[in-house]
Amino acid sequence: MTGLIQFFAIPLGLGMIVIGAGIGIGRLAAAAAEGIARQPSAATQITGAVNLPLFLLEGVAILAEVFALLVLFLGKPQGF
Amino acid sequence: MSIQEHVQEHATEAAGKFNAGQVIIEHVSNSSHDHPLIKLPTLFGIDFSVTKHVLMLWLVAALVFVVVTWAVRRYLRQPRPIPAGFMNGLEFVVEFVRDSIVQPNVGRKWVNTWTPLVLTFFVFILCANAIGLIPIFELLGLLDRWVFHTGEHSFLKQVMHGGSTATANFNVTAALATITFGAIIVAGSLAHGFVKHWKNMAPQGLPAFVYFILIPIEIMGMFVRPFALTMRLAANMTGGHIAILSILSLVFLFAEMFGRALAGIGVGVVAVPLVVGISALEILVVLIQAYVFTLLSAVFIGMAIHVHH
Repeated sequence: MTGLIQFFAIPLGLGMIVIGAGIGIGRLAAAAAEGIARQPSAATQITGAVNLPLFLLEGVAILAEVFALLVLFLGKPQGF
Repeated sequence: MSIQEHVQEHATEAAGKFNAGQVIIEHVSNSSHDHPLIKLPTLFGIDFSVTKHVLMLWLVAALVFVVVTWAVRRYLRQPRPIPAGFMNGLEFVVEFVRDSIVQPNVGRKWVNTWTPLVLTFFVFILCANAIGLIPIFELLGLLDRWVFHTGEHSFLKQVMHGGSTATANFNVTAALATITFGAIIVAGSLAHGFVKHWKNMAPQGLPAFVYFILIPIEIMGMFVRPFALTMRLAANMTGGHIAILSILSLVFLFAEMFGRALAGIGVGVVAVPLVVGISALEILVVLIQAYVFTLLSAVFIGMAIHVHH
């Protein structure tokens, strides 16, 4: 039973992580593209400003994935 | 036939079969602790034996040290200081790190203090990442299989499970992130003094009850940042290898499932170009992750120096 729950929950969680990260990165990219289209001369500054939140977002997504995989490999919840 | 017998029969049947999970785990994980590549004595309770990832770590460190020192020495000995060849590339890297990673974050005053550390991070991580893409050890394994025929736990057998990336090991990246963690504290202490650095972590002049919430959050944030650095680098480096190997193992899985080589070849026609594409993507990831680690280190150091609340 436990194994079954893990095998359903973890792919579901991984999918949700991808959705969240995808929305975040997509919004960032859209805003950056719009900004550069309006003000092409500020392209380098906009790229610099977008980079940092992008990497922090990616870090959170990867942390979530690592934890999901840790639950898969190490998780032995009691009481099932 | 009971289920257990059925499972057992399958297990014995599967013993000679291709096990994709095991192959992938053997490739990305460190070599066994019980059979290290080079047996070294235990000092102060620490086992100094060299495993696969330690070997890669030493190889990268030696390579970077020798190549960079050699190039710079040769450049300094020239009668006219005009960089040429490799030195040109090296100068480009140094200037890139100084002007577009360190200076915007740390500021003009401290740029010369922190560029050496961040530059070392960049070059080391870049080389450690990139060396995992070179299939030297696959070649050694192939030679071992067809030419040398060494024993079960020989040096070659241990090392041959794929070109390993030292930065794909969480311990390596944790050590690198610990250096960043120390550098953040040192940077804050150098700029503001030791006591002032810790005071800077929370804004002054708030009502007392806010500090009960704020101080634990700030302390947690202090540890989360290096932890995120650790996980990001290691997970990215492991992920690429796993993706490449899973797609390649589809060839063997399909060949086994249908019991004929043609099925494997048919899948391979799709899988191998896909793997080439992912490998090209990995070259990008290698560069980006080295950049990200150094950029975030510089940003965190800069945050300790320029406190703004």
